[in-house]
Amino acid sequence: MAPPVLLLAALVIYPLVYNVVLSLRNYRTGEFVGLHNFARAFDDPLFFASLRATGVYVSWALATEILLGLALALLVHRTIRSGWARTLIYVLFFIPMVTPPVVAGVIARLMYSPNYGVINVALAKLGLIDTEILWLSEPGTAMFAVLSVDVWQWMPFVFLVCFAGLQSVPMDTVEAARVDGAGGWRLFRHVELPYLRSLLMLVVVFRFTDTFRVFDHVQVLTGGGPGASTEFLSLYLYRIAFKFFNLSYAAALSLFVLAVASVAFAVLGRYLGKEVGE
Amino acid sequence: MRTVGVVVLALLAVVYLFPFYWMVTTAVRPLADFYQFPAPIFPSEVTLEPFSSVMIGRQFVTLLRNSLIACLGAVVFGIAIGMLIAYPVTRLPVPPAFRRGLLNWILSLRFLPPIVVVIPFFDIIRRLGLYDALGSLVLLYTVFSLPFATWMLRGFLLEVPLEIEEAALIDGASRLRAFFTVLLPQLAPALLATAVITFALAWSEFMFGFILTATQRSQTFPIGVASLVTQFQIIWNEMAAAGTVAAIVPILLLLFARRYVVTALTFGAVREKA
Repeated sequence: MAPPVLLLAALVIYPLVYNVVLSLRNYRTGEFVGLHNFARAFDDPLFFASLRATGVYVSWALATEILLGLALALLVHRTIRSGWARTLIYVLFFIPMVTPPVVAGVIARLMYSPNYGVINVALAKLGLIDTEILWLSEPGTAMFAVLSVDVWQWMPFVFLVCFAGLQSVPMDTVEAARVDGAGGWRLFRHVELPYLRSLLMLVVVFRFTDTFRVFDHVQVLTGGGPGASTEFLSLYLYRIAFKFFNLSYAAALSLFVLAVASVAFAVLGRYLGKEVGE
Repeated sequence: MRTVGVVVLALLAVVYLFPFYWMVTTAVRPLADFYQFPAPIFPSEVTLEPFSSVMIGRQFVTLLRNSLIACLGAVVFGIAIGMLIAYPVTRLPVPPAFRRGLLNWILSLRFLPPIVVVIPFFDIIRRLGLYDALGSLVLLYTVFSLPFATWMLRGFLLEVPLEIEEAALIDGASRLRAFFTVLLPQLAPALLATAVITFALAWSEFMFGFILTATQRSQTFPIGVASLVTQFQIIWNEMAAAGTVAAIVPILLLLFARRYVVTALTFGAVREKA
């Protein structure tokens, strides 16, 4: 076991150490500049703009996905009984989840673009708009567009996890609560929610991690634009490192990203450990 | 309540199926359809021309080959290394603290943002002359498939009773022999599921391929798809055709292994029944 583990450690730890070394230098001249690259972040309005955009994205995506996914899981759990209908729902939600994010971006492009996009056509047919909305050219609607792709792809994940959780609530506990007169909301609040609590925490951590690092579909759909309105952290770091070739500054910022991701992982450890019974 | 459920689900079916319908039908439209506004909901005629012009005209078959090599590499190395870690932690007397530490550390790779790795990696492989080489992708895909591979294999190994191997060991077989002749046949379906999931996840990977490759020599399929999205003029039907091919591979593979997917994505926290 030792050789593969050591190899793996080398493959992962070496780049991280390398990042620290990079961040302490001037990339062009190679000279040691101490914490200059870190200090620079504080005077970088684009970094703060990116941080803010990421914050908006993460909070909207998490809130929407979790509320919708949970509500839907409850709805299906309570109202749909037949086995084949449940299988159909499973497959329906499974497909977007396993679609490559790049393709989700392409699909969104086909839906939102001016000229070819069908969303405008549908809205016009319904009489909701009379002039075309340029979804990807306005900061607000562009943010909505990239968010909608995330929700479309990952609300199903929340649904599937919550649905599986609801099914694991013991039948006799539910029956006992029913006999005691607990209906709808109270049944959920006092019987089912306690069972879902740790699964929901798990979902929060997974969705936080993935929305915080979002890159693929945004790159295809808006490329960070218009302006820098959807330039989330990964996209901003990409631009600094690979368009401006300032790998040192990007490395410094990436250590900040790493720190945030580590906190998320530390939180998860508590919940996942319990679930897997280690 | 039941009516509400049915209505909501019908609505969702539209929200989820229409986008796929739109992509697939865009991929089979003749160019004439794109000069109409609004574009007709049904293609005016069905043609496979966009597929051939993407796959052959633009040489995307090369990208398909690159993706196959990179993903199969990740599958083979990922499962081999995953097994070398999962077997000892489930079968050999290792200290519990060590076992937990190792498994958690592997799990932490799932939470490592790729941008943090790709910045130093870019500099390293460029210095080594491995920029735009499929080999660097195989390496990264292997590392990043390990959390899934190791944890899935560990889950499967825990389900195989120890007695089966012990019987063979008592009969005088070596550990290695017991592993290959007794345990491995038992694990065959599990290995297949792990392979399928590893392959599909690597297939969908975008950022590493996007940053560490430059030419068709080593670009993977999703990079090609993204390259068809340009600022100036998008050739809609070709972009949709490439997107369709890119989506079909993981969807088909994972439908086949769907029993395991949610369990794999949550590292065993959710046991799937469907």
